[in-house]
Amino acid sequence: MKAVDFDYAQPATLDAALELLAREDVMVRPVAGSQSLGPMLNLRLAQPELLVDITRIAELRTIRQEGDRLVIGACVTHARLEDGDYPDVTRGVLPSVAAVIAYRAVRNRGTIGGSLAHADPAADWVNVLTALGADVVIAGTGGRRSVPMTDFILGVFETALQPGEIVAEIHVPALSDRARWGYYKVCRKTGEFSHATGAVLIDPARGVQRCVAGATSGKPVVIDGPALFADGCTEAAMAAHLAGSPAADDPIALRTHTVALKRAIAQVMS
Amino acid sequence: MSTHAKTISLTINGTRVEASVPPRQHLGDFLRERELLTGTHLGCEHGVCGACTILIDGEPARSCITFAVACDGRSVTTVEGLDDDPVAAELREAFSAEHGLQCGFCTPGMLVAARDVVLRRPDADNPAIRTAMSGNLCRCTGYVGIVNAIRRVIDARNTNAG
Amino acid sequence: MGEVSTAGSGVGARVRRKEDDRLLRGRGRFVGDIALVGMKELAFVRSPVAHATITGIEIPEEHRGTVFTWADLAAGGVKPIRAVSGLPGFKVSEQPALADGKVRFVGEPVAVCVAATRAEAEDIAASVFVDYAELPVNSDMLEAVTPGAPKVHDHWPDNVFLETNVGGTIAEIAATAPVKVSRTIRTARQCMVPLEGKGVVAHWDRHVEQLVLTTSTQMPHIVRAGLSECLDLDQGLIRVVAPDVGGGFGWKGLLQPEEIVAAWIAMRLDRPVRWTEDRREHLVAAANAREHHYEITAYADARGRLLGIEADAWVDAGAYSVYPFSACLEAAQVGSILPGPYDFAHYRCRTFSVCTNKPPIVPYRGVARTGVCFAMEQMIDAVADAVGREPWQVRLENLVPPEKMPFDNVTKKHFDSGDYPESVRRAVAAIELDGWRARQKAGEADGRLIGVGFATYCEQSAHGTAVYHGWGIPMVPGHEQAQARITPDGGLELRVGVQSHGQSMETTFAQVAHEVLGIPLEKIKLVHGDTGLTPYSTGTWGSRSMVMAGGAVATACRTLAERLRRIGAHLMQAGPEAVVLEEGSVKAGAAAVTIREIAHTWYRAPQLLPADVDRGGLEVTAGYKPGSDHGTFSYATHAVAVAVDPEIGQVEILDYVVVEDAGTMVNPMVVDGQIYGGVAQGVGTALYERMPYDAEGQPLASTFADYLIPGFTEVPHVRIIHMLTPSPYTEFGVKGIGEGGAIAPPAAICNAINDALKPLGVTVTNAPMTPEVILCAIAETRGAA
Ligand SMILES: Cc1cc2nc3c(=O)[nH]c(=O)nc-3n(C[C@H](O)[C@H](O)[C@H](O)COP(=O)(O)OP(=O)(O)OC[C@H]3O[C@@H](n4cnc5c(N)ncnc54)[C@H](O)[C@@H]3O)c2cc1C
Ligand code: FES
Ligand code: FES
Repeated sequence: MKAVDFDYAQPATLDAALELLAREDVMVRPVAGSQSLGPMLNLRLAQPELLVDITRIAELRTIRQEGDRLVIGACVTHARLEDGDYPDVTRGVLPSVAAVIAYRAVRNRGTIGGSLAHADPAADWVNVLTALGADVVIAGTGGRRSVPMTDFILGVFETALQPGEIVAEIHVPALSDRARWGYYKVCRKTGEFSHATGAVLIDPARGVQRCVAGATSGKPVVIDGPALFADGCTEAAMAAHLAGSPAADDPIALRTHTVALKRAIAQVMS
Repeated sequence: MSTHAKTISLTINGTRVEASVPPRQHLGDFLRERELLTGTHLGCEHGVCGACTILIDGEPARSCITFAVACDGRSVTTVEGLDDDPVAAELREAFSAEHGLQCGFCTPGMLVAARDVVLRRPDADNPAIRTAMSGNLCRCTGYVGIVNAIRRVIDARNTNAG
Repeated sequence: MGEVSTAGSGVGARVRRKEDDRLLRGRGRFVGDIALVGMKELAFVRSPVAHATITGIEIPEEHRGTVFTWADLAAGGVKPIRAVSGLPGFKVSEQPALADGKVRFVGEPVAVCVAATRAEAEDIAASVFVDYAELPVNSDMLEAVTPGAPKVHDHWPDNVFLETNVGGTIAEIAATAPVKVSRTIRTARQCMVPLEGKGVVAHWDRHVEQLVLTTSTQMPHIVRAGLSECLDLDQGLIRVVAPDVGGGFGWKGLLQPEEIVAAWIAMRLDRPVRWTEDRREHLVAAANAREHHYEITAYADARGRLLGIEADAWVDAGAYSVYPFSACLEAAQVGSILPGPYDFAHYRCRTFSVCTNKPPIVPYRGVARTGVCFAMEQMIDAVADAVGREPWQVRLENLVPPEKMPFDNVTKKHFDSGDYPESVRRAVAAIELDGWRARQKAGEADGRLIGVGFATYCEQSAHGTAVYHGWGIPMVPGHEQAQARITPDGGLELRVGVQSHGQSMETTFAQVAHEVLGIPLEKIKLVHGDTGLTPYSTGTWGSRSMVMAGGAVATACRTLAERLRRIGAHLMQAGPEAVVLEEGSVKAGAAAVTIREIAHTWYRAPQLLPADVDRGGLEVTAGYKPGSDHGTFSYATHAVAVAVDPEIGQVEILDYVVVEDAGTMVNPMVVDGQIYGGVAQGVGTALYERMPYDAEGQPLASTFADYLIPGFTEVPHVRIIHMLTPSPYTEFGVKGIGEGGAIAPPAAICNAINDALKPLGVTVTNAPMTPEVILCAIAETRGAA
């Protein structure tokens, strides 16, 4: 189980990386922690001709506060987010989520940007950052643009990234001291990808009442407003929200998604 | 051979090594096939089993899904490099006393992961040890001996520190 | 016997393992660690379809000479694997090491590619184009036995390797029994998943003129025999060596097509070659254990006393018969051991070894017992439910009582010793059943449902000659042999043909030898797993190594002891009857001469030996068989408490107790380790492990992300309680225990889940009991209500 032969570059600057990624003569792909791409390469599910390693680009590895937002470089690892050596405007949400991604050895190398770009519907950041209302800053040779999470993840392994573009930053808005957070994953094993994810944020100061159903074999399903709170999170209600997703037609999956979200809601209500 | 071979220079178990590597060669294969450091084992090559866990700049990492070429300038420590490490020595002693290994195939990765738990989580109770170690699979021991061994080392360190 | 001590380092002592240090320092030597000068790597082109005729194989021009197919092997005289059973009606399959015009399962090797590195060999494999004309597929054993099913082997009349019928008619009981319960029960196809995959390094050793095959096997001598048959090479020209082996569990107890291919290529190219099975190859091509289906009925009286059992059982044996165990061992065992540890009179069982388009089945830890126990123990609980008693009470009602030991059961198995009911009583006490029942009644704040389950089994281990002779397969265990040699410096070398791959034999056999000779463990060296260095053995399987090879070691050491005593007596000028061998010295009153001194005399000062000294000297080969050809019967009761989350179908194990009787334990730490490890695998069978196939025979899992084996947080901190009834038939009274831990967990956990789900009126009968299975069962019951 070995990867196909490929070339590799490790540029030191973002511009150099974008230039390489813009090449059209080879099949080129960015790589960050290689914790998702590595297995795919070894299994030959991915067969690039050139890998551009973006982890040595200093600016992609920084975390800084900008007003009431936390700006996280794409190549910040899950482990660093877990350890919390930054002004955590999310009042513990980021470290607590990071701590339940995979295993420490994976978290030491896997990155937040790689996780979003990979866009596995079951991935933690995909759902959590959607619930938090984060924005993704995308960089390409043509410049930068900012895309809200809800428009960034388009489907299973599908994002708003265009060829040659990378995720540069993630902007996470601050939570107020009245914010409440609920998160529930249905996993059969510790560190395993989720089968159903519920993420819930209530932040009265920002007027946010948001539920996210994740790992639905599609993009995260966002349900804003109070409808699901109290006793509103029923299978019937969820069937309507999940309509169109495969999870809606499978009664067992529907049930599991309902329970995951119900339990996340229970955390904010308690 | 790969037409894309790259020259890297890194430290392996304290010794500087310069090598030409095909970019597709993962770090586990590089250590085993080129450096003959066969203590690092491969149990899946897709990041799940933990048998290949080594230290990169002191942090545990999967050598099967890390490419050697990406480790230019880094410091890599394998189980062979932990001979004189005090925590690893305590763990070896405890693994043996608690029967934390049978076939020994998972063991090098277990030691690297366990060492990290001992250092990072000195407060861990048994369920916390289990969660922290959950990235390493063993098919032989049923984990009881490994948990007991880590417990023993953490307790001894806490007693000595207190 | 009187030789058993618990202190010191002999039999019964909890000593640390001699093998630990090298493994803890990463200095073991597994097949994948071996590199020989000029060695090439192999990669296989494997079938992507389950059933097809091969209409063409295109090898790119530049790779001719590095890709080989069956045509090359056949031209070189290689013969297909034939693992025949002598049982009447057995249909023979021929398995060519590379597909011969037809493929019969996904993952079957079709061609082999040779290159300097594995990556390059895989590049070549990707460039080989094979044209498949697909055929209809047998993906399910029950469909494969229906009329008109496509045939896996064209010349067979149907897809059944073998049908067996055990027992007589039980129509009378069926007509009159007050209680009758029936169940349909199934266990999924599993992979054994030793953490180290298979691996082979083959080369021709010019100096000794031998093919040397270093392979991760449990049975080097049997692999040699099989290679000899397939390569048409004298056994004397083949040496098979097992280095450190990273777990086996049965998967390394067979002759593999890849071993034949590697051996042939090494000879053909006159080059060392290596193949290491990667995880995807293992999960896809070696999904080969445990798939049973039962239609079973129990008859009982109103107290729950069993009157009879009637069953039809199917085992999905896959596409070929494996060497040496054959395609029928699993199902034939079902017929003979389904009655379990129970005493009842009427029994009928029909079994089918079904041929399908899946990888060939190999006996996995516990062999058929895990499935059998899963079926039988569900029936005990079903009977208990029907008569309104606690399941443990119904077990006590039916288990063979100690006063009947030794006992011949309804299928003529000879249970050697023990107190089966006591294991149940102790398990009930240890799990604290009353506490769980109270908690169950009170209900859980989080809405989960509590359940407690039990399962009891007895396990024949160290099988004797008769039963294997009866099966007529390529391997029949007879006397097991061991060699013992005192070295010139007074140490001891032991040589056994079994193979240790986690079982700690380097330590435990040394303990046995120490018990007899008193030589310190540090000075005892075990040589194992090498046809060039050890006596013949069928190898390590069936929980036999300690009973058989351990018995042989003790026997050889006793002969040595006698010779040492005689020489020692002579050196002290005492009569042989006046001396004892103690603590590594021969003693006559206050005088003593050490084994080291005696060794020195034999090797370096033979002029001092008595004139009538045994000419065999300080080297002995001794054979051993237990006093009963039925081997030993260890047994256990497992008790488990679970919490079932009825909303998401997840099961948490809250407590797990094993009460078991392994007879005399040579090293209690090692026994416990075997049990912990077995239970972990049993938890996998119960809750996680399943290789799913679609209708086209495609395996739907190929990584550890989709084939889940239990990790740290899925396996409970098992508590073990020992009962110690020595076997009357073996050295020191030991019994085989290597497999037992893996037998009962699926049954105990299933019974616990059903206990938990009782308020919902839900029963699950299939393993693994995944969230989906549990949620579906709940949904169906709701739908029906
Ligand atoms: C055993 C195991 C268990 C896991 N369990 C979980 C889990 O429970 N939850 C979870 O969320 N994740 C899990 N993961 C995935 C892990 O979090 C990965 O680290 C993450 O998904 C990818 O990050 P990476 O930096 O490793 O990306 P890489 O593997 O390097 O890249 C992934 C993909 O993103 C692209 N890419 C990477 N960075 C960028 C960028 N900045 N811009 C554009 N494209 C980019 C690559 O081209 C590639 O297609 C698991 C992984 C493993 C091996
Ligand atoms: S071999 Fe690297 S995680 Fe399994
Ligand atoms: S000791 Fe064999 S896999 Fe852990």
